[in-house]
Amino acid sequence: MNSVTLGHGSGGRQSHELVEALLEGFRKRNIGPELEDAALLRGGYAMTVDGFTVSPRKFPGGDIGHLCVCGCANDLAVRGASPDFLGIGLIIEEGFPAGELAEYMESAAATCESLGMTLAAGDTKVVPSGAVDGVYFSGSAFGKVHTAHPLGMSNIQEGDALIVSTSIGRHGAAIAAARFNLSVDGLESDCAPLWPVVKNILPFEGLRCMRDCTRGGLGTVLCEWAESANLHISLDESSIPVEDTVRSLCDVLGFDPLYMACEGCVALAVSSASAREVLGTLRKSPLCGDAAIIGSVFRGEPRGMVSMKTSIGGERLVDMPFGELLPRIC
Amino acid sequence: MTSNVAAASEALKALVAAPISVMEVCGTHTVSIFRSGIRSLLPPQLRLVSGPGCPVCVTDQGEIDCALSLLETGAVVAAYGDMFRVPGKSGSLASKRSAGFDARLVTSASDVLAIAEKEPRKEVVFLAVGFETTAPATAALVLEASARNIANLSVLSFHKRTPPALKALSADPSLALSGFLLPGHVSVILGHEPFRFLSDLHGIPAVIAGFDPEQIMLGLVTIALQKRKGEAALRSVYGQAVRPEGNTKARELMESVFISRDASWRGLGVLLDSGLALRDGFSRFDAEKRFELSCAPGEAPAGCRCGEVLTGRIAPTECPLFRTACTPVSPVGPCMVSGEGTCGAYFRYHRANGGKR
Repeated sequence: MNSVTLGHGSGGRQSHELVEALLEGFRKRNIGPELEDAALLRGGYAMTVDGFTVSPRKFPGGDIGHLCVCGCANDLAVRGASPDFLGIGLIIEEGFPAGELAEYMESAAATCESLGMTLAAGDTKVVPSGAVDGVYFSGSAFGKVHTAHPLGMSNIQEGDALIVSTSIGRHGAAIAAARFNLSVDGLESDCAPLWPVVKNILPFEGLRCMRDCTRGGLGTVLCEWAESANLHISLDESSIPVEDTVRSLCDVLGFDPLYMACEGCVALAVSSASAREVLGTLRKSPLCGDAAIIGSVFRGEPRGMVSMKTSIGGERLVDMPFGELLPRIC
Repeated sequence: MTSNVAAASEALKALVAAPISVMEVCGTHTVSIFRSGIRSLLPPQLRLVSGPGCPVCVTDQGEIDCALSLLETGAVVAAYGDMFRVPGKSGSLASKRSAGFDARLVTSASDVLAIAEKEPRKEVVFLAVGFETTAPATAALVLEASARNIANLSVLSFHKRTPPALKALSADPSLALSGFLLPGHVSVILGHEPFRFLSDLHGIPAVIAGFDPEQIMLGLVTIALQKRKGEAALRSVYGQAVRPEGNTKARELMESVFISRDASWRGLGVLLDSGLALRDGFSRFDAEKRFELSCAPGEAPAGCRCGEVLTGRIAPTECPLFRTACTPVSPVGPCMVSGEGTCGAYFRYHRANGGKR
């Protein structure tokens, strides 16, 4: 890697390359992080950091303020932690309308309130016109872990079932539609806090791990799981929920819904014995009516990879995306 | 499995006794075939060969270098997404953009007009690639720019015509193609006639098909049936979209702006009348003339066998660079870069070649 390209921001394999390069100094001192959505800290707490540069800042289903709170809170939720405290840092371009900024802070506040989350810290910086595009948010969240055992991809085992909590790709598709000036009736970002959903399934013993399917989408999450567990993941395409709006937008733009970002969708690995019950619990939430079991984990070949039985009965591999799908999705 | 696809799969197993090779000409077919896993449903005697129907892939190395050289003049070069990562002699549009040059990603030719109007002090050049499907949009752009008298917009036209490439492939006995699955979108524009020589002159069954798995399977069955009966005809299974006479309006639009010229194709070399240049009346929008470029055919990167992949001579896995020096993250040739490229599709989707990264 000679210089950073937009491909390094895509969430796929190149993002990993970038992150590993950045962590080198920490890794060699043994003070580096594990690569999960949030870190589990001593004393039963979890923390996360996330940046938000989404363009456009307002999109069907949310805005950058709401997205900032959801993104941070969801990173905690998928590791079994409640979203208790939030910090927000703003980098604001000179000349930015104060009213618009107030709108985003209001929507962030409303989302925090709905979650019982307190704004505990913050920072503002103003930079000269042209140094950033409007406003960038960065958020950090901190919360208490509510599981007896740590959730994480190292728990994934042969025989586990894979569940997705709702239809995939809606955030990425909504942003893409806005960026390419395509109007698709009924297409909205899925941007939503997941804690109210996730807290109900934490008691299940068979729950192995969860991930928030953001940048890179469901496909990227599952590839990471297969690689890190060195197991084979097999998916059933016809059981993966995809809304028609998302499908048609992807057809037009040549995208694959599997790689489209979500902001209110969680992927779960669950023991096969608990799968039905977890699914039933998820479906009781209005956000998760489309939740489905989409595949399972095997010891067979090809190891470390994801394959998919296609809707017409064929078979193909699912690989991590590469290159620049669409920058500034979140 | 949908019942039609299942039925087609069974029919093919019954119909194809001796080995046959069918070329799917279009990159959109290639991707649909891989994404839907169609190859896993075909009898082993039926070999699918990907053809020269990925616009990025067939663009000559010299043409890419020409576009890159324009960036150095300070011009804005606007291109479709897939072109961005194709490596030239001195990097790609993407790496040049990272280095501060002004390469812009556009999703339609009309985006280019908007850029030129918004930034009148900059020279804005559209890197126009693609077949008869994208050429009408470029023609419309040129007509609009002409009508609005936009002085800072020009087009680097590397558009290519499909029939001359198929003529070259069908005349090559070493390929021994038993059938052509013809591109639905191109046929929507061209209609049936420009492809009739495949069956009537060369005796090769040719079937126009759409892009969903059912259409592709139906197309393959139609070819296999002809082979079985010893016939060769041009057929269309994409009746709802393709009219026999094609889209006359789109062709008139193209013809009003473009004139055919010899063009260099990666893998096929220079083919007579296979490219589209701007007519003399539109010279001021012709970037080659405006910037006095000579986009001579260039040499492919060392070791890259995209040319042979594009013409169905080898499968991507037979290229020594595949999965070793050439991967989607650091592609050597365009067939690995493009979303419609055969090497990229093999890398991403093909189980038989999976297992190791």
